[in-house]
Amino acid sequence: MKRSKLIAFGALSALVLSLLSAVAPAQAARDLKGSVCAQEGQVRTISGVTYTCERVSGALQYAQGRKLSGTLNVLCTPQELWCVEMTKAFQAKTGVTTKFIRLSSGEALTRLVASKNNPEFDVWTGGPNDSHISGRIQGVIEAYKSPTRNMLKSQFKDADGFWTGIYMGALGFCSNTNELKRLGVKAPTSWNDLLNAKFKGNFMMAHPGTSGTAYTALWSQVLRLGSEDAAINYMKELNKNVLSYTRSGAGPTGPLGRGEVATGLVFSHDCTAAILRGNPLVVSFPKEGTGFEIGGIALVKGAKNPDAAKAYIDFALSAEAQNIGPAKAESFQILTNPNAKYDRRMINLKKVTLLNYEAEAAGTASVKLKARFDKEVALASSAK
Amino acid sequence: MATKSGNLKLDALTKEFGNSAEKVVAVRELTLTINPGEFVTLLGPSGCGKTTALRMIAGFETPTKGRVLLDGEDLSYATPDRRPMGMVFQSYALFPHMTVFDNVAYGLRVKKLSAGEIKKAVGEVLDSMSLSHLANRAPNQLSGGQQQRVALARAMVVRPKVLLFDEPLSNLDAKLRAQMRVEIRSIQRRLGITSIFVTHDQDEAMSLSDRIVVMRNAVVEQVGTPDEIYRRPSSVFVADFIGRSNFLEVESAARAKAGKAKIVVSGRKIEVAAQSSALSSNKPVLLVRPESITVTAAKGKGTKVGKGEGKVTNVVFYGNHVEYTLETDEGVIIAVESDPLYDDIVPVGKIARYSFPADRAWLLPSDSTHAMKEDRK
Amino acid sequence: MSTKARGGKYDIFTKLALVLVLIIVGFLIVLPLLNILVYSSQPSGSAIVKGSFSDIVTRNIIWNTVKLGLTVAALGTLLGFIMAYTQARVEFRGKKILHIINLVPIISPPFAFATAIIVLFGRSGMITRGIFDWRPTLYGYPGLVLVLTLSFFPIAYMNLLGMLRSLDPALDEAGASLGANKWRIFRTVTLPLLIPGFAGSFLLLFIESIADLANPLIIGGSYTVLASRAYMAINGDYDISLAAGYSLLLLLPALLVFLIQRYWAQKKSVISVTGKPSGRPTVVTSKVARTFLLTVTGLLTGLILLIYATVVLGAFVQIIGVNNEFTLSHFQYLLGGFANGAIKTTTTLALIATPLSGIFGMLIAWLVVRKVRRGSEALDFLGMLGIAVPGTVIGIGYAITYNDPVKIAGVTVFPQVAGGAALIGGSIAIIMVYIIRSSPAGQRSGIAMLQQIDPAIEEASASLGAAGGKTFRLVTLPLISGAFLSGLMYAFAHSMTTLSPIIFLVTPDTSILTQKILAEADQGRYGNVFALCCILIMLIMIIGGLINLLVRRTQVSIDRPMVTGR
Repeated sequence: MKRSKLIAFGALSALVLSLLSAVAPAQAARDLKGSVCAQEGQVRTISGVTYTCERVSGALQYAQGRKLSGTLNVLCTPQELWCVEMTKAFQAKTGVTTKFIRLSSGEALTRLVASKNNPEFDVWTGGPNDSHISGRIQGVIEAYKSPTRNMLKSQFKDADGFWTGIYMGALGFCSNTNELKRLGVKAPTSWNDLLNAKFKGNFMMAHPGTSGTAYTALWSQVLRLGSEDAAINYMKELNKNVLSYTRSGAGPTGPLGRGEVATGLVFSHDCTAAILRGNPLVVSFPKEGTGFEIGGIALVKGAKNPDAAKAYIDFALSAEAQNIGPAKAESFQILTNPNAKYDRRMINLKKVTLLNYEAEAAGTASVKLKARFDKEVALASSAK
Repeated sequence: MATKSGNLKLDALTKEFGNSAEKVVAVRELTLTINPGEFVTLLGPSGCGKTTALRMIAGFETPTKGRVLLDGEDLSYATPDRRPMGMVFQSYALFPHMTVFDNVAYGLRVKKLSAGEIKKAVGEVLDSMSLSHLANRAPNQLSGGQQQRVALARAMVVRPKVLLFDEPLSNLDAKLRAQMRVEIRSIQRRLGITSIFVTHDQDEAMSLSDRIVVMRNAVVEQVGTPDEIYRRPSSVFVADFIGRSNFLEVESAARAKAGKAKIVVSGRKIEVAAQSSALSSNKPVLLVRPESITVTAAKGKGTKVGKGEGKVTNVVFYGNHVEYTLETDEGVIIAVESDPLYDDIVPVGKIARYSFPADRAWLLPSDSTHAMKEDRK
Repeated sequence: MSTKARGGKYDIFTKLALVLVLIIVGFLIVLPLLNILVYSSQPSGSAIVKGSFSDIVTRNIIWNTVKLGLTVAALGTLLGFIMAYTQARVEFRGKKILHIINLVPIISPPFAFATAIIVLFGRSGMITRGIFDWRPTLYGYPGLVLVLTLSFFPIAYMNLLGMLRSLDPALDEAGASLGANKWRIFRTVTLPLLIPGFAGSFLLLFIESIADLANPLIIGGSYTVLASRAYMAINGDYDISLAAGYSLLLLLPALLVFLIQRYWAQKKSVISVTGKPSGRPTVVTSKVARTFLLTVTGLLTGLILLIYATVVLGAFVQIIGVNNEFTLSHFQYLLGGFANGAIKTTTTLALIATPLSGIFGMLIAWLVVRKVRRGSEALDFLGMLGIAVPGTVIGIGYAITYNDPVKIAGVTVFPQVAGGAALIGGSIAIIMVYIIRSSPAGQRSGIAMLQQIDPAIEEASASLGAAGGKTFRLVTLPLISGAFLSGLMYAFAHSMTTLSPIIFLVTPDTSILTQKILAEADQGRYGNVFALCCILIMLIMIIGGLINLLVRRTQVSIDRPMVTGR
């Protein structure tokens, strides 16, 4: 009896030890703090401590270490596959159990506001940064300045550190080539092309209420036309051609690929991904200039696991993490880390005119403008 | 074998249904003492309260008032499982998902007897009721009579102090019913278990009971031995409910010596036994059972009906007896002659004389004469 | 005699069971509904409720909802009737298979129909455009009507088939012997007797279709209904009061119609008074009628088969209709990490909820039929609330109620169970929803079953010394195990496929398959939608089969429950 227990104990401890050594090999006891590193932004975990390679007075070193534990809950707004790959990579790197739920930006914000008193998430990643700004205004995110931010251009980060950009995407028109041919029109290259009567019932976009993509489109009209009233009027005109508003930004790509509609408004990288899946689609951009998003990442206020959340933000900003998108997750946004690889499937910013999009103003106006859109455009049309 | 326990006392047992606005009294102040080993039948038409009374004894209904005492212990509010009583249901209520053996063993298992004891006890009971060969059958593979016996075995095997029967024979055909009566009575005698039997069938009540409780409209009409109930019913209702009756109109009635009355009926002056309140009733009637009446042909008569005579309106010959229907001044009379000679039968349309011995007649108050017609089941 | 003891006291077990049921019902449904009321009385919610007739936008949403409900109810009842009548009164081969096919939509995953319909009959549909070069617009009212009718007609079918089968054929024979021809008998005898069935089916379909959220989200187009508007209020306007206001507008007609259906239409039912049907039902022999019935039946069944074929095929090709190249990539994608967690979580939660909801439903049934004297109808109604209340409303009610601990006068009476920060990552709220949504089915079949079992059987057990709980366990439960089993199967399938209340409750720890399907459908990745549907259907079939085996093994076989009685 006793002997068998001893044997079992011995076997168990051997197993545990071997597992431990597999996770943390030789350097088990090494403390990397202060040691030199090669690549800025690189995140590394050794014996349960996670370090970020940062530049301290000119030299690269692992300046800070965080001992991570527990579970990390990620609120993820881009497409599921990207969320899967990113969280998987972070978990592999740090050993922190990383879970996510994918909600479009409007839904995400609602959930954050609803659980304000007892936050269910630690970090909110992706989605146009005007929703993060809206989140800051509603007090659901808090500032975190990752050391890796220093690498980013100033347009990609909030001065106060509430959000930091991890990717950038531009709105584009996504059109089904077969349908265009059938209708006898060319792919739209101007916002006004969308109002073409031939596109009646042949146009799709997401609903600004739930989709950051669609809100970006809505705010782009304000920028382009100069006032909210003019933007709403344009949307009313456009509404005549709309077949359906989808819930999330990339939603129209499915029906577009099938030829349910001829053209739609999505982030161009979503259209690109659909093309790569074999859909007969083509991307085009409005010559007047198009809206863009900076996909933000932010620390959730009152996060249960802030250390892991911060490490995740550091990780998401690193070139290594940003390369996952194009390589593994059919995501072809422009990346914010200058060291991240350029992929030919990403758009060439030199060939696209961008509007002078200011997320701050967009985020501040969002609640009211969305309500106006809902009342004056979407619901009014359902009352037809 | 017989136990001394099983003394059941019902004390002003009352059950009311419905709310205060619309109250229905199902049983009113039923008071009765049943001796150990006694077989008592609750008899009455549908809705008289006999089943409710039984269900109160079993614990399926809680009395509104009154008490149920078993060997001095107040069980009025005990749940059924706390009462040492066995019940046999009209529908048998065998557990359809158990075999015959398991059905019978159920009560013993609930009591947590050992498997060996259960096997022995169930085996004995099944044996005594010739059910052994059916032990592994499912209830729905049994005939009605077999199901009935299993239900009885199941109730008996737990050695209850009181056995309750809720019209258990009403789903059987006539022949089987008669057979089961004998069987139930002999087993009950052998085991000496106090039994209460609910039925609306007077034959069952007569043939089974030590005492019969006749109920009507929630109250007890009469409690007595089968002979008392039959010969000396307390009311026209009881008389009519138990057996067949002729109620003759009485021309006059006067008090005679104790328990007797001098009356004039069909022109005869006779002295008959009388129910205690018969003479205080404004118009007493005379109960004469059909088998007490003798019918003979009125010789040389035409169509005129005299005193003590009646016109034959119907004759039915059954072989072992003949049944007459006579129209008389005292009302319609039914008479049954046993072992008749065919040639002596008075044919329809003829005038016949009828007579009965005075000691077979019983004077009753008429207050509610024929009210019982409404109580037909 | 009454089937239950009247007056007097309940035994301990009954009291405990009753209290337990009331507490469970209280937390699982009553409290969330009360919170809907509370929140809807706040400014933005009450503005919507008050403006429901004056505000043109709100009025239109209500009218859209009602119009959809009425159309689907009418069409679904009609289709259900034709199918049921064919099944009951027309002789043809393959009846049994047809019956099963007609029932399958009940346990179908959401979106299977919507996406398949678009693939088949949309503007670029394989049939509409591929064969007829026709480009109908399905987004909006027409698509919703089509999809919802196909999804819900089986309810009417089952309802009416049951009624048709219990119609005494002697009635037809009586009609015939009085000289009426078959058509006349159909018009003057059969149809009038089925009116309660029509009414009941119509009302049930009405409730189901106004409550649906999944389909309006995906193919609703700009046709806004209350359910999708309430969803937008939460996820677009971030306004819980507004959502509660729309929920209330949705809840009231649903409850009203449910009450009418349950307590009026069913009471009107006169079918069963004729007792056991005798003789054989008359068979439709008229050539015209036969042709008509078989054509409609054939077309509908063919359509259902076609839809499932599309689902299966679509799961195995690149982009069905666009690029029909065989591929396993959807499954590789889903099983390579995307859906593994969801498969595990959904199945686990559904498996936990299944026995609980089965027992809960049976317990209520038992209390209603056997034990509770006054207020048994009220108890029955409380138990049925789970399906009477639209899923969207339940989900919003839960989100409002359980994202914080429930407190009475500062004392926590119920912990936070919804949201990622709750115990076990919010899975308790999802299990609670599963239970309250699927126990009503068990409750109904349990009640039907119990009403057929002679109460004397339970009394016999009590008089043999078994107290309330023991009797329930040893006698009642085995006797209603058939109903219990079908309750379990339904509960499992229903839990696996439920979506509308779950949308509001998923957390990182509880990713749910149907929510994944919604995400994929919304992103337009139909291949993944179809593959997910296939996985879901397989799971339901395999685990449902296992449940069946498991429960059958422990169940003593009864040919037929004994239904002797007075």
